[in-house]
Amino acid sequence: MANRTIPRLLQTPSVVLLLLWMLVPLGMTLYFSFIRYVLNSLRRPEWTTPSFSNWRGFGNYEYVLNAKDFGLAMTNSIFIVASILVFTVLLGLALAMLVNRSFPGRGIVRVLLISPFFVMPAVNAVLWINMILDPVLGLNGLAVQGINEIINNLRGFPVLGSFFSLWPEFEPISFRATQTSAYAVIMMVTWQWTPFAVLIFMTSLQSEDESQKEAAILDGANAWSRFRNLTVPHLARPIAIVVMIQSIFHLSLYAEIEIVSRGNGNKNLPYLIGEFTSNNIGAASATGIFAVILANIVAIFLLRMVGKNLMD
Amino acid sequence: MATIDQTSKLGKVFWPVLAWVVALVFFFPIFWMVFTSFKTDADAVKPEFLFKFTPTLENYTNMTENYDYWRFAINSVITSTFATLFALFVGVPAAYAMAFNPSRHTKDILVWMLSTKMLPAAAVLYPMTFLTKNFLQIFDTHFLIILVLCLINLPIVIWMLFTYFKEIPKEIIEAGKMDGVSTWGEIKDILIPLAWGGVASTALLTFIFCWNEAYWTVRLTTTDAATLSKLIEGNRAPEGLFFGRLSAVSTAAVGPIVVLGWFCQKQLVRGLTFGAVK
Repeated sequence: MANRTIPRLLQTPSVVLLLLWMLVPLGMTLYFSFIRYVLNSLRRPEWTTPSFSNWRGFGNYEYVLNAKDFGLAMTNSIFIVASILVFTVLLGLALAMLVNRSFPGRGIVRVLLISPFFVMPAVNAVLWINMILDPVLGLNGLAVQGINEIINNLRGFPVLGSFFSLWPEFEPISFRATQTSAYAVIMMVTWQWTPFAVLIFMTSLQSEDESQKEAAILDGANAWSRFRNLTVPHLARPIAIVVMIQSIFHLSLYAEIEIVSRGNGNKNLPYLIGEFTSNNIGAASATGIFAVILANIVAIFLLRMVGKNLMD
Repeated sequence: MATIDQTSKLGKVFWPVLAWVVALVFFFPIFWMVFTSFKTDADAVKPEFLFKFTPTLENYTNMTENYDYWRFAINSVITSTFATLFALFVGVPAAYAMAFNPSRHTKDILVWMLSTKMLPAAAVLYPMTFLTKNFLQIFDTHFLIILVLCLINLPIVIWMLFTYFKEIPKEIIEAGKMDGVSTWGEIKDILIPLAWGGVASTALLTFIFCWNEAYWTVRLTTTDAATLSKLIEGNRAPEGLFFGRLSAVSTAAVGPIVVLGWFCQKQLVRGLTFGAVK
């Protein structure tokens, strides 16, 4: 190839923009994480401007590691991401198999199934936590109320009544408590991202070699062993990709946590960073570096798994 | 070729019915939101009006007074549109160069671009606030939101365009070169008309991602450039008494995008898997 200048010039704006976008803020975070830096301090006003003279070494990291919320935020981040991954992949596989056959109205079923993915995260969270999961006004509360009423009416029956009168009244679960709000987040994100898994698995299933399958049927392989030995290996790569992309997105999950869990003690790393940012920038930056390290560990692991496949 | 059908008669009814039931369950929350948006706030929380009620449009007609909906919607349209255009403007030449004149480093550059997506946004929250507020003084401007939305989507744009451009035979582009067409002419007159479908679906998908972005649009704005994400997040409180109007404004915020999404399901797969699943 004769001239390399023009192709290089064409790539330069993208590379420079992304390089700046990555390095400048990250460099600042790294710097702030090693100095004492708070937004308001009456006692030590000199800490309110970033400067090398406020050097703190690894003090911020120590402080964050000892903060009681850090462990919770870290484990919660991982717990939430892992749960979502398990649910979306399993549900996604099941639904993709279900929709991957022809039946009347299949196009409409696909459209209905994919829709949740396009709902903006803020609406998703507001919709679920208020209108569906609210223990009094949401469908959750109304359903439990309805069940209790049915049981109450059954108590009037002659023989069975005594049986039902032993039943306690049901209590709706509140999804605004510390632990249950993590479940609420897992539920709403699973709802939103299962369609994504379904879509990718379905696309991949359509490229599956049908003649191989038919040969297996002729050889007398049953449905389970066909799934186990032909479909699962074929889906290995799409599964890895679904896991990778979702890990990227859900490690920085924020809007859902903010809307569902504000002030009730449930938090993940991005939320904890947000809390520190209201005053203690040093701690926020150190937490940020921990978040970067976590993301990198996950990313390296995942890119190893799928990276080679990406380029073919 | 004869297909071998092992499905039993029961299965022929059962599986489609199950598929329909599951699809309806998944769609239910969206249906419920749209459904509730036609109830008054008072009716929306009363069990006796769960399914039987007098539909009203007042939640939609009052959307401007209740939430100042249009101001946020216009900001969303402006920022998403220009971010998409800008990302294409920067991304098309880059993807063109990578697809037709790859160097030894092209693969590394592509993977590196992808890795910028893995940087958790929250880690650079304060530096971004500091830079834009104190240093550049562009906090809460359309310009900033457009720039940020463009940057976070640029890797996906380049990857997606790259996979589309790769499918175009190199000879066609090279023939243009022989005829002495300039680089700009090659992109404008040969590449874009040939890859028009790919460019359009990249644009559509980028627009959807911009519209739904909910971290930077919330944290880097206060009023002037606030988008619909910010509007909804601001009304997150358990507004038991306002389910009707909240549903209406939510429906208005997601409706157009959900419909747009229906048209680019296939492209979504390619865009989000960086061409690895087609």
